Amino acid sequence: MFEFFSFSNIFSFVDKTIKFINSIFFIILIIGLSFALIFSPPDYLQGDSVRIMYVHVPSAWIGLASFTLISILSFLNFLFKIKNLNLITKSLAPIGLMFTCIAIVTGSLWGQPTWGTWWAWDARLTSMLVLMIFYIVFILSFKLIKKESNAVKFSSIVAIVGSINIPIIKYSVDWWATLHQPASINIIGKTTIHSSMLVPLSLMLLVLLLYCALIFLMKYKTEIIRIKKKNIKRL
Amino acid sequence: MITNIITMNGYAFFVWASFGFTVFACSFLYYKTYKTLKKYEEDFANELKKLSVVKQEKVLKGSKIANQVLASYSKSV
Repeated sequence: MFEFFSFSNIFSFVDKTIKFINSIFFIILIIGLSFALIFSPPDYLQGDSVRIMYVHVPSAWIGLASFTLISILSFLNFLFKIKNLNLITKSLAPIGLMFTCIAIVTGSLWGQPTWGTWWAWDARLTSMLVLMIFYIVFILSFKLIKKESNAVKFSSIVAIVGSINIPIIKYSVDWWATLHQPASINIIGKTTIHSSMLVPLSLMLLVLLLYCALIFLMKYKTEIIRIKKKNIKRL
Repeated sequence: MITNIITMNGYAFFVWASFGFTVFACSFLYYKTYKTLKKYEEDFANELKKLSVVKQEKVLKGSKIANQVLASYSKSV
């Protein structure tokens, strides 16, 4: 069973998955964008500005989910020193950073027509900005710290400390009075969003998740090649 | 209908800027990741070429990854 998890088997699997995602990505992208920009109805209060939700919400979810995963894997790596986990967190971080930036920028573009301001120092927006800073420090630790083992240690600490911010982001809209609306979609509780908007939102989430998988696998493949290049004389 | 899609009933700037920024950011990260991957494949192939023929054969025989990287690099050249 452990044979399957050898680098060469993972490498073949990654290669095949990249090809598969490439073959279906544009079809799903066109369907997702058609629903988000054409077929979904405008909101009775916000009008067509509600379409920003189809990129803003999935981006924020991905930004949060990536950091949660990075924190868990960093914690495990800190305890058990599994090299593969380090490669995964390193490959995930730029994706999470980019989607956090997209969530902040699109949120700002949505805020102007709905709240009348581009930015407010309210709990949700500020905690998302803090998340972005954690991502930047995490990525910079690999670039600035020369010794890899020290970089891994430092980045793990950053990820573990940063995990405190995750519940703050999630519950900021419930704990404090904020401009940001509370969650409309609950996995356990009642979802208050209409299906005519839930379908495009789910489709756009699928598109962005496929994109994440594609970038993650390409980055992971790069990391494997980097390690193999280092050890080429020992092969 | 087409006018409605373009103007977004007065919200064109906000909606198109949001989608435009997302597409731009995603394309930029894809391009950067793809370029880095190709650079590492090239570096790996160059490193392999530096070895003696006997050692090259030994590496290619012993490593599936080396074969795949080399095949991918040869395709892109």
